[in-house]
Amino acid sequence: MNAAALEIIVGEGTCGIAAGSQEVFDTFKSEAPEASVRTVSCAGMCHQEVLVEINGPKGYYKYGKVTKKEVPKILEHIQKDGEQLAADFVLVAPETPETEDNGYITKQTRIALRNVGQLDPTKIEEYEARDGYKVVRKIAAGMTPEEVISEVKDAVIRGRGGAGFPTHIKWGFAAAQDSETKYLICNGDEGDPGAFMDRSLLEGDPHNVIEGMIIAAYAIGATHGYAYIRAEYPLAVKNFGLAIEAAKAKNLLGENILGSGFDFDIKIKEGAGAFVCGEETALMASIEGERGMPNRRPPFPAVKGLFGKPTIINNVETLSNLPWIVNNGGKAFSAYGTDDSKGTKVFALAGSIKRGGLVEVPMGTTVGEVIYDIGGGSSSGRPIKGAQLGGPSGGCIPASKFDTPIEYAALQKTGAIIGSGGMIVFDDKTCMVDLAKFFLDFTQIESCGKCTFCRIGTLRMKELLVKISEGEAKIEDLDILADLSEKIIDNSLCALGGTAPNPVVTTLRYFRDEYEAHITEHRCPAGKCKALISHVVIQADCTGCTLCEKACPTDAITGEPKVAHSYQINMDKCINCSMCVEVCKPDCILVE
Amino acid sequence: MTTSTLEATVDPELVQTWIAELGDEPAATVPLLQAIQQEYGYLPRTAMDLIVKNTKISGRQIFGVATFYAQFRMKPVGRHLIKVCHGTACHVQGADRLNTALRFSLNMHDEEQDTAPNGSYTISDVACVGCCSQAPLLVIGDAVFGNLSGAFAQRALRKHARQNEEVLAKPEKQAVK
Repeated sequence: MNAAALEIIVGEGTCGIAAGSQEVFDTFKSEAPEASVRTVSCAGMCHQEVLVEINGPKGYYKYGKVTKKEVPKILEHIQKDGEQLAADFVLVAPETPETEDNGYITKQTRIALRNVGQLDPTKIEEYEARDGYKVVRKIAAGMTPEEVISEVKDAVIRGRGGAGFPTHIKWGFAAAQDSETKYLICNGDEGDPGAFMDRSLLEGDPHNVIEGMIIAAYAIGATHGYAYIRAEYPLAVKNFGLAIEAAKAKNLLGENILGSGFDFDIKIKEGAGAFVCGEETALMASIEGERGMPNRRPPFPAVKGLFGKPTIINNVETLSNLPWIVNNGGKAFSAYGTDDSKGTKVFALAGSIKRGGLVEVPMGTTVGEVIYDIGGGSSSGRPIKGAQLGGPSGGCIPASKFDTPIEYAALQKTGAIIGSGGMIVFDDKTCMVDLAKFFLDFTQIESCGKCTFCRIGTLRMKELLVKISEGEAKIEDLDILADLSEKIIDNSLCALGGTAPNPVVTTLRYFRDEYEAHITEHRCPAGKCKALISHVVIQADCTGCTLCEKACPTDAITGEPKVAHSYQINMDKCINCSMCVEVCKPDCILVE
Repeated sequence: MTTSTLEATVDPELVQTWIAELGDEPAATVPLLQAIQQEYGYLPRTAMDLIVKNTKISGRQIFGVATFYAQFRMKPVGRHLIKVCHGTACHVQGADRLNTALRFSLNMHDEEQDTAPNGSYTISDVACVGCCSQAPLLVIGDAVFGNLSGAFAQRALRKHARQNEEVLAKPEKQAVK
């Protein structure tokens, strides 16, 4: 076979690697030694990892969920004329109609994510070939900071990190400061569990973020930049570092960029694992080498920020939109969206969802469209109960609110927020008390301890939630929860405390019946809270396959191997870990 | 069980190289601690003392910073670190079961214990790894394993142990929390 004509592209973002892309890559290399095999960053189609694209003699192919076993089948498939491979891992082939899974990408509007998964992030030429660094060249050709700000003003883009403050107004404060040294910080401390767009952008299209930083720095007159990246994202740190070096070598960064007279350099600061460092003043304290604790504002960072100098902090996604905005005009960006919110927003779709990954849609798209049309609905086949938007600062909304358009004001009315864009979908097997407890546990640990209400209040809330989940609470405890929520929100300095009770507030609003079932009936309707459930073998369905016995860490399951209907669970030994449920093939272990 | 054998011997010259490279200003605190932990897996007291002695960073500051950030560990770790992701998606998909399964495989029966008795593996819960579509997942060394169940997590561990010539004791069946 003539494999020389083949171009094989393997997705190797963190998700791809987790799914085993290295093995697939190596197998293609050895099975098709003449072909050009290369890697690209994460395409945001995480549910289909490992994702393989092939440009063959007959056209373009895309395969999902590839393991090394499929490699020979794939190599055979592309050689055969017009033959359809009856396998579900073929997503796109020249002779087959567009599959539903490909619609996952085609139904999106990708601006921030436009290059992600399309190029090799370690090659600056590939970014340049896609209009990369064109804005830097425009700047060198005489585009003024005012012109840059004006485009961003026309775009009406609001900060994508969570707070949603208009970017051009924020810039305006710093631009007005008369100071020789100003700082521009890229906030890549994506601490919100459940959001990963910043990771994908930093590792998948780092030059786009760098160009965004150059644009922002030029607009406000900053000469020094910091990229604050979470230490949990090693690939992002690596790719971003390589990109800085490559840009410097081409004088796109550094002194007198392309002869424009504008100097700007970027240093990477690795975060050390503190959620609160996503807050601007805490992030700056962290760069200065202090404990990452927030400070009172004013003075705002734009006036007196890092090392006492005017500082602008922009989120990774905000910065990723800037090159496109300046190239295509701010009005092209604001043509997307609604009156309230312009442009597009990236969501990290995960949880009990069929097609999870990164989704970029115009503002105004409804939550339901994202979950059902793009995400394909529930992965388990069980009904979707709701979704959690915006991470620990956000809220849970029930499926009945899925017709809410994604825009700042409309979502806020439901109690949820756009936030950084985490969207976790859950089915009826997720307990809302447990979920609220999970978030409070997170914020309680992450509270820096500066404000009393946040430090102690979140702990008290967590204790109450533990009591509820163990069936030990009284119904009045729900009022105490609501009261504590209000006081923590009102008496915290930064947004961590100011939003920490939101998961409780929203679950109490929409799923109060679940709280009441725990308290009055000592029952966890979703079968999740360990103190209130027990595991029982439905002996009629048991095949005697022994899998549950092997999986059980406590020897609680006994029976006669290969003898159907013989297994049973000793309640005294069972720790309700559900490992038996995971392995049981006939699905005969009941959790109640 | 004892972890005293896991205590690292600090090389003062290495600490000096890091100071020369990263600076002796207070702003270098986090990168210096990261360098120490990268080398030894945790923050040995002697290494922090050396930093305080040879830089403008005070003992108050270095201890304050070291105890503030989740990344830093004050206790020695096993030869390999297992990070179990406990982000929202992983939590919803059953990340707790991965802990139960691994603790079982590593004979860790005491709730406080996070390192296997033979010093092979340390289990550490981490906030989101940012790989939510592969939830639940864990990271052993640099290798990420996704879409796990309890049994798959044990298999991933066995594979890693085989490749790294670590011995996994035959698990005693006891209650693990």
